[in-house]
Amino acid sequence: MKILVCIKQVPDMESRFRPNGEKTWYDEGDLAFRMNEYDEYAVEQAVQLKEQLGGEPEITVLSIGPDRTVEAIKKALAMGGDRAVHIRDDRYYQKDPWQIASMIASYAKGEGFDLIFTGMQSQDRGSAQVGVIVAELLGIACATTLVGFSYDGGTITAKRELEGGIKGVAKLKLPALVTCQLGLNTPRYPTLPNIMKAKKKEIASLTPAELSGEAELTATAAIYPPAKKGGGLVLEGEIGIQVDRLMGILKEKTAVLR
Amino acid sequence: MEATREIYWNVGHGVVLPMYLLTLMAFAACAYGCWKRVEVYRQGKPINRLDNLRERVTLMATNLFGQIRVLRVAGPGIPHALFFWGFVVLFIGTLFVMAQADFSQPLFGIKILTGSFYKGYSLVLDLAGLAALVTLFGLALRRFVARPEGLKITRDDYLMHGLLSAIIVTGFFAEGVRMAATELRQNPDLARFSPVGLFVAGQFAALDLQSLKELHRLWWWCHFLLVTGFIAAIPWTKFRHLLTTPANYLFVDLRPKGSIDTIDLEAEGVEHFGVDKVADLTWKDIFDADACTSCKRCQDRCPAFNTEKPLSPMQVVQQIGETACTAPQADLIETVGRDALWSCTTCRSCQEICPAQVEHVNKVIEMRRNLVLMQGEFPGEEVMVAANNVEVNGNPFGMAYAERGKWADGLPVRHLSDGEEADILYFVGCYASFDKRNQEVAKSFVKICDAAGVKVGILGKEERCCGEPLRKLGNEYLYQMTAQENIELIKGYGVKKIVTTCPHCLNTLGRDYRDLGLDVEVEHYTVFIDRLIGAGTLALAPHQFDYTYHDSCYLGRYQGIMEQPRNVLHVAGGRINEMQRSGLESFCCGAGGGRILAEEKLGSRINVQRVKMAEATGAPLIVSNCPFCLTMFEDGIKTGDCEGKLAVRDLAEVVAERLATPLEIGKAGPELTMAAVTALADVAGRIEPAPPEQERLAAAEGVSA
Repeated sequence: MKILVCIKQVPDMESRFRPNGEKTWYDEGDLAFRMNEYDEYAVEQAVQLKEQLGGEPEITVLSIGPDRTVEAIKKALAMGGDRAVHIRDDRYYQKDPWQIASMIASYAKGEGFDLIFTGMQSQDRGSAQVGVIVAELLGIACATTLVGFSYDGGTITAKRELEGGIKGVAKLKLPALVTCQLGLNTPRYPTLPNIMKAKKKEIASLTPAELSGEAELTATAAIYPPAKKGGGLVLEGEIGIQVDRLMGILKEKTAVLR
Repeated sequence: MEATREIYWNVGHGVVLPMYLLTLMAFAACAYGCWKRVEVYRQGKPINRLDNLRERVTLMATNLFGQIRVLRVAGPGIPHALFFWGFVVLFIGTLFVMAQADFSQPLFGIKILTGSFYKGYSLVLDLAGLAALVTLFGLALRRFVARPEGLKITRDDYLMHGLLSAIIVTGFFAEGVRMAATELRQNPDLARFSPVGLFVAGQFAALDLQSLKELHRLWWWCHFLLVTGFIAAIPWTKFRHLLTTPANYLFVDLRPKGSIDTIDLEAEGVEHFGVDKVADLTWKDIFDADACTSCKRCQDRCPAFNTEKPLSPMQVVQQIGETACTAPQADLIETVGRDALWSCTTCRSCQEICPAQVEHVNKVIEMRRNLVLMQGEFPGEEVMVAANNVEVNGNPFGMAYAERGKWADGLPVRHLSDGEEADILYFVGCYASFDKRNQEVAKSFVKICDAAGVKVGILGKEERCCGEPLRKLGNEYLYQMTAQENIELIKGYGVKKIVTTCPHCLNTLGRDYRDLGLDVEVEHYTVFIDRLIGAGTLALAPHQFDYTYHDSCYLGRYQGIMEQPRNVLHVAGGRINEMQRSGLESFCCGAGGGRILAEEKLGSRINVQRVKMAEATGAPLIVSNCPFCLTMFEDGIKTGDCEGKLAVRDLAEVVAERLATPLEIGKAGPELTMAAVTALADVAGRIEPAPPEQERLAAAEGVSA
């Protein structure tokens, strides 16, 4: 069995985001990067399946992004991926989900993957489109937002999270693509021997030009933080001070004490 | 009449040959037993514990003959030391007998045991025997009658008490009957110098000579055979501590306290990390189990054990010993148990008190290393999240790394990344950087330095977690990654001196980082402030206050810094009320060993127990010197229902409020004082409208005084 896991390196969500110079994406300065949370579930599920099948499947990890993306790839390899493909693209953020999916599909077409895992969405763009478009382009079965996964004899039983807390169960025959949601599993912490081994694993490097020349379908016009509205005020500190400040605010800004 | 006695009286010189043969056999049995034990130790990996031999021998001699470590717990320590000294004297006495009877007299005709020397010899030996017997009786009462909690009674304990008492008693009996036959009437002047022997002789005085001689032979042989049995039994019973405990003094870890082996992550071909089998341990780790006497002093002090958690440092050491003897292939982690391993706060109170100098903490850390590095396990998911946060953002909270230096906005702090010069690098640490409560400590420290004219530099957003909690949790890889980044930075800026407000950073930067190539003076702020005061650079305007002081583990036990903080607080006007457990005997706040990152799910809460100890002093204030302790106490005061009775402040906050030339820096000053007023006003059960700052301060002092 050949498994592909598509991952993305995204900024840590605790960071402070500022629009970049072109105002079409965020500025990368002062940001810390990590593997997209949902992609960690994808990697974990792929590795669990490999373990279930006695280590037979080969797991390929694919990621699109600039040089720093290698760190996320190495993490996926340390978690149990066998080899990796890094599509080096410094302008990845200018590509829309259609272009990203086209690149992945173009790579995957000749490789004969039986099963593709992706995250449900990326934490930064959050389009949730790349996985399904890849499945469509490859003409394979697809199930999204998985919170449960089991595999037996060529059939996947996928538990999907639907709207309003409802769950659905889908069965898919291979080849297939699934997108992974929070709750599917707990991603493992890579062991030191596996981190060391990952450093020696193959990371093939490709350029976008080698894969797809699709034009964008949706262009990013502008990116900006939401306009500041009068938000809530959180009082902190010693309780006495909090009371004093609350009294002050109530006196100054409201009529309740008058 | 001559003051001497005939050696081999009654038993005759004919016993010499069988006596020495039997003695030889006893020693052979002893040596064989030792060899069998050595085979057990040899399952461990090699480690050199015989370097600096002169220092080691001196340490061993002082610890052994001075019984220094044993005496640190007076109750059982004094009897043990008296017994030991008594037995040593008896042993030396026996050597005198041997030297005269079998060497000096037959070979050169020289008699040693004669005249006033013999009188003194008789008296000293009699008293030594008496002291040994009495203390042994006292210890037996303690173990078998009083039965202190946690003190085990094993077959070996019965054997040891029985055999040792029997040896002394039969010795006195043999002496007594001999004296009844040869001294009681013939040389009463000499008999006075053997008071115990004289007493025993008195009991047998009515017997005729023949009966006395028969009895004497009986007691003599009993005494002798018991002694040979004792020698033979040493390696096979708990008597082995006679050899292994002094040897453990010799094999002591001479590195600075808290040193942990730094794993070479670049080593080729190494695919196994930490300890999960006996063979992964060093021979010293196995030897420790034999040096352990089950005295339970470690267990009595263990914060985990005392809050009903499944960890006893004594048991861990003994489980390792048992596994090494009986099932060397067994999984040590399964044997000891994950919950036990994760419960350790690495507070070092076990190791500090251990009379046998057993090294408990590193065994736990080595097994944790195996759990994390080989199995990817943590005490809880929250700890794995924290580790991932450190990896990504350089702090366990997952706060954006770029915000790390934000606490210092508006304060007289220089950012080394801007090329600014500073007198010291203040390594702020994660808690003082990000935790609101601990930011007050950082601000106070800067305020103090400013008042003393010290230029403070920080690494700001470039600083990363020192890696201490991760390292103590076993995550050596991530520790080294984060440490390397800090070291490169610090070296790059040519830093000459580092000051920390966190004892964990202090130990890590000052000691652990040395293995990774950082060699810079690192000082804790309490010592730094103490020196500033001593040099007259920093002047305080003391206001009287009552407090109790918590020695954090990593400042007190690990670094031995206990005087300087107390001195600073004294100069600040503090009147100390010591907790029963302070200094080297201080009780952990519960946050060491990486536990600060983990939820405390087992047993009762350590921080609450410590807060209760502080409350018991009657002081309204507990002063801390560590961000982890401060965090734990703030929490413990709330969950332990001590609000209004006890407040916690860091030493820096106390000092910053008493600067002789108070400075208004940012908002830190007023808010700080306000917090103090509220806390202390709560103590008195009255909340007053906020008066001007000076009045507020005075009022606060009045309340606490």
